[in-house]
Amino acid sequence: MRIGANLTSTQFQRPALGVPQHPLRRNVPDAILGGVCAGLACRLGVRVQTIRLFFALSSLVFGVGAGGYLVLWLALRRDGEDEPIARRLEHGGRAFKTVLWSLAVVLVMLLALSNVNLYLLGPYAWSILLSGVGLVAVWRGASPAERTYLEGVVQAAPVLGAASARGWRAVVWRVGPATILIVVGLQILSRVGGVWGAAVPALLGGLVLIAGILIMLAPWWLENVRDLSRERRDRVRAEERATLVTHVHDSVLQTLTLIERSAGDRAEVIRLARAQERELRAWLFAPDLIGVVSRADGSFADQLHVLQHDVERDYGVRVDLVVVGDCPSDQRVRDLVAAAREAAVNAAKWSGEEQLSVYGEVEPHEISVYVRDAGIGFDPDAPAEDRQGLTHSIRDRINRLGGSSVVRSTLGEGSEVTLLLPREVASS
Amino acid sequence: MTRPRVFLVDDHELIRSGIKAEIADDVDIVGQADEVAAAIEMVIERRPEVVLLDVHMPDGGGLRVLREVRATCGDVRFLALSVSDAAEDVIAVVRAGANGYVTKNISGADLIDAIWRVRAGDAVFSPLLAGFVLEAFAGDPVLSDRDSSGDPDLDQLTARERQVLRLIARGYAYKQVAAELGISSKTVETHVSSVLRKLQLSNRYQLSNWANERKLT
Repeated sequence: MRIGANLTSTQFQRPALGVPQHPLRRNVPDAILGGVCAGLACRLGVRVQTIRLFFALSSLVFGVGAGGYLVLWLALRRDGEDEPIARRLEHGGRAFKTVLWSLAVVLVMLLALSNVNLYLLGPYAWSILLSGVGLVAVWRGASPAERTYLEGVVQAAPVLGAASARGWRAVVWRVGPATILIVVGLQILSRVGGVWGAAVPALLGGLVLIAGILIMLAPWWLENVRDLSRERRDRVRAEERATLVTHVHDSVLQTLTLIERSAGDRAEVIRLARAQERELRAWLFAPDLIGVVSRADGSFADQLHVLQHDVERDYGVRVDLVVVGDCPSDQRVRDLVAAAREAAVNAAKWSGEEQLSVYGEVEPHEISVYVRDAGIGFDPDAPAEDRQGLTHSIRDRINRLGGSSVVRSTLGEGSEVTLLLPREVASS
Repeated sequence: MTRPRVFLVDDHELIRSGIKAEIADDVDIVGQADEVAAAIEMVIERRPEVVLLDVHMPDGGGLRVLREVRATCGDVRFLALSVSDAAEDVIAVVRAGANGYVTKNISGADLIDAIWRVRAGDAVFSPLLAGFVLEAFAGDPVLSDRDSSGDPDLDQLTARERQVLRLIARGYAYKQVAAELGISSKTVETHVSSVLRKLQLSNRYQLSNWANERKLT
């Protein structure tokens, strides 16, 4: 996690009605099951209840709605994930096979039923059983985050949740309603084709039957699920540990060896220890920064972190960096950071201090950077060759950008360079 | 003034001995602990004035020590020490009642200064903490849905408090802040303490969010 920069994006913004949103993703915060309806509602800019009603009603027509829902569930990406369940299934071999097998079993069952002229369930049998396969597919292909969410949904469902507990009370809770539901479901199904016609009772009977079976089997299923996710977690943990060991070996042990070898050279030991500390810290706390360090086209805050990293590495000083706010970078921001870099290098070279502070802040109308050291200082008006030249070049840079700079320094008390850059108001 | 009575909580032997070596001449170290349960028991028994508290420890970390000790004796003050730069760690311990937060690479002299300050009930803000606070209090106050405090003053920093925090974030020591703004050091202390109070009591969305994130892990 990066410090400072990610803090503004933590709020979820619910889109306004009537405003279509791109792209189409399964929604997370408003989801009940897979977030398909909520996602569609966002995409189309309509109320989520409308979409839900549509799916519910169309499910009455040979289960089209339920089937469509499952297809979308499989085909759409969940918000924040980079591939849809279907794609993930395709890559994960075993899960894919499970789904294929259950599909085959269902087809054989249906064929067998139609062979012995048992059109018990009519066309609903197809949609219900295929939906069952769809659910298996969703489960096998879901990301860990989505699995956890679905597990929560099942636990929170009134009867299912109670039924998954242990103890005799739970058994009663489970077996009682389950038996009743199964019997009622079979009863309804056995009357299909009678006075009522086929459609409604067949669907109702099928649903009741499935609910009964679900409740009966819930504990077994949940336990299975829990074992599976525990196994998965353990594996992830083992992998993390392996990466850590590799990293410690590659980087930390090497540096320690280097430190031992240069034990006599104080400056070198400090430089090595700091470089290693910075690297390890980035690796542990801000892994997303590692790529940035080599890329250098990240946001304002990213670029200041790169500056900190480089100056610490090259000059063996400590740079305390604090960034408040953030913005994407354009050429002006890059030039501002380049000027700040010059100021920091200047301070690192000439101040005689081993520590400097860099503070960057993004405000609505202005970006500011302060580079400060508590070193020997200098007289800003005296024509001292090296430092003076540098301050001039910083001033020129900032002036060209339409910003302003202030250099303050007191002999013996340190100096501070202030860089101010107004933001272009046109871009939001 | 007598020397502050300090208790040390850290699960790393090396860090403990390092800190002890640096501050032992200027404070009384009345005890040390390397695990959460022992720390809670010993701190309650010995009643130090200031506890130097490592944030990251197994079994609940510094946060648990802080909560359980403060439940029994409210007069023990805490200064959190950590190697982490993550906002949720910093904000969580301060909101739980720590008077300040410093990173472990702080110099011995600065640490002693911070201990004295915390003993006096003042707040210790590192540049990093000042930056977090500015970030959290930026823009309009956004209250979390469930519990709006009903006190809008708590959710906003005054212009002066902002100035003080900005200077601290820029690396100014309290004395330098005072000189820069033309006010007394005591006034700077007052501003910083008031910010600490707001930090602990405000229900701003980001603050409670940061604290919640910490609770989950």
